[in-house]
Amino acid sequence: MKLLVIEDEAGLRESIEAYFTEEGSVCETASDYNSAIAKVNLYRYDCIILDITLPNGSGLDILKYLKVEQHTDGILIISAKNSLDDRLNGLDLGADDYLTKPFHLSELRARVAAIVRRKSFGGNNRLKFNEIDIDLNAREVNVNLSPIKLTPKEYALLLYFLANKGKVVSKNAIAEHLWGDSIDIADNFDFIYSHIKNLRKKIIEAGGNDYIQAAYGMGYKFIGA
Amino acid sequence: MKLLTRYNRATIAITTIIMLVAGIAYYFTITTILSKQVDKALEVEEHEVHDFVLLNRKLPQVFRTNHQTILFAPANSPGKRKFVDTVYRDIKDDELEPARALYTFVKVEDKYYRVIVVQSKVENEDLIKVIFMITLGLIAGLLVALFFLNRVILSSLWKPFYKVLGQLKSFNLAENSSIQNVHSNIDEFRELDTAVNLMADRVKDDYFALKSFTENASHELMTPISVINSKLDTFVQTGEFSDQQSKLLNDIYSSVSKLTRLNKSLLLLAKIENRLIADKQDLNLKILIEELLNQLDDLVAGRQLVVEARLYDKPIKASLLLMEVLISNLISNAIRHNKPGGFISIELNHLKLKVSNSGVAGKLNMQDMFRRFQKSASSDGIGLGLTISKQICDTYGFNFEYVFLNEVHHFIVTFAP
Repeated sequence: MKLLVIEDEAGLRESIEAYFTEEGSVCETASDYNSAIAKVNLYRYDCIILDITLPNGSGLDILKYLKVEQHTDGILIISAKNSLDDRLNGLDLGADDYLTKPFHLSELRARVAAIVRRKSFGGNNRLKFNEIDIDLNAREVNVNLSPIKLTPKEYALLLYFLANKGKVVSKNAIAEHLWGDSIDIADNFDFIYSHIKNLRKKIIEAGGNDYIQAAYGMGYKFIGA
Repeated sequence: MKLLTRYNRATIAITTIIMLVAGIAYYFTITTILSKQVDKALEVEEHEVHDFVLLNRKLPQVFRTNHQTILFAPANSPGKRKFVDTVYRDIKDDELEPARALYTFVKVEDKYYRVIVVQSKVENEDLIKVIFMITLGLIAGLLVALFFLNRVILSSLWKPFYKVLGQLKSFNLAENSSIQNVHSNIDEFRELDTAVNLMADRVKDDYFALKSFTENASHELMTPISVINSKLDTFVQTGEFSDQQSKLLNDIYSSVSKLTRLNKSLLLLAKIENRLIADKQDLNLKILIEELLNQLDDLVAGRQLVVEARLYDKPIKASLLLMEVLISNLISNAIRHNKPGGFISIELNHLKLKVSNSGVAGKLNMQDMFRRFQKSASSDGIGLGLTISKQICDTYGFNFEYVFLNEVHHFIVTFAP
């Protein structure tokens, strides 16, 4: 997977780079409009993570440029402006997704993974990991070729874990991914545990491996190997 | 008290007093003048008697007319000459009338006679009566005229003032409409109008500056919060943590996410107030509520809450984001401020949305409720939910009210017709 992160805030750019860089993945960065244009002129990426407010230019202009040049790179806009106009503009101009700052890196990765999947598999969308085989269109999960029945939350959880294989995903990030803003009503995240327990149980009962581990009270980790 | 009433009261009271004083002064002046005239007539008679006596050396014949009588009576010595008020018996009507008499003395040969000349004042009295009636009539006429004149003058003259007042009353900071100029050729009203306009503009400027400050500050804060968040996500990848470290990290995570939500809410509020969310689409509130309830399943179950929903289709043309926020705020509040094992009831029909819940606290204070950052002590929320809900309702012309009945809190949104 080859990514380009266009973000002027050094702290955020470095974190994203560190989180995405791993075996088999390349993550390049650009910190302003000009260097970003130079990069997209030279190389193609599976996904470009694009900030809208940049020094000496707007991310939306980069987006327009890519569309004019008919490049098919996946584009995910990240912006501090939770403005509906920006969002609609970005999506109208051909961005694949829009994520408002601040976000969890695991959320970003799940979104990027979804874009890359859509781009690389065309319409026929299947995700395979060892004995787990997911039909993304039909939202069906097979373990060792036998179907398992997941609730919508368990299904979303599984996809989220698969996108963040080998990473510790905080309970906080999981909760926000599954419940959105309404999560602030919750006193604790105990109910996440029951969903994870059920998901593990269903995979193991179908003969799958136990991939999900608790990570020191912080969150969970999907062992990817 | 209305200006007109007050003004009427003052002018009419003062006019009445002045007219009364004038009337009294008038009365006395005329009475004095008239009785002087009668006195003169009496003196003329006196002179005639004296002249007659000087010429004929005897008393004139006693004569009597309808209004005048002269009487003679022998006297021992001349007394004091004097004018007195008396009564007079009218010959024709045989009635007593007010009269004026002159007591004087005359010497015929060596004998003194007292002469009494009496003249009726009845005509004078009549005159005074007429004058008094005319004065009264004048007072009454003047009062009526003043009353109507005041009314007409005040309502037309003060029209600009009432216009300015009306505009001030309906002045709303959050709205973009400005105060209209009220034209008048009266200096004071022109000044008032200018002052009101200046003040309104200044207040609006300040308000907008404050709002854009809130918006900008929230925007600027998002970047450092994102950095903290991403650094935390990176940090938890770095190795093993003890229980204590995990607890610290969890606390930081939840504080950061609270900060994020606070920031988002402030931004949303600023946007709603600035009417920046203008998108409209066809929605069905019933579907939105059902989706939300589905999503909140775990949270409801975690508190052993019983949810009853009586939902009918409610198609609406509105912003999806705002409708989601409104519904989510109302239902989240009903969950958050509930007691374990309590209930939530959601009613939706084409007229209104009613969210009711059992709660621990008593009646909430209506006035405080919509104030920013106003929240109950037990709440973990940020205290902007109801403010935002109210703003959304205002945007769409919905009526938003709170009722506390039989220990149950009801929040009722009545849709615009």
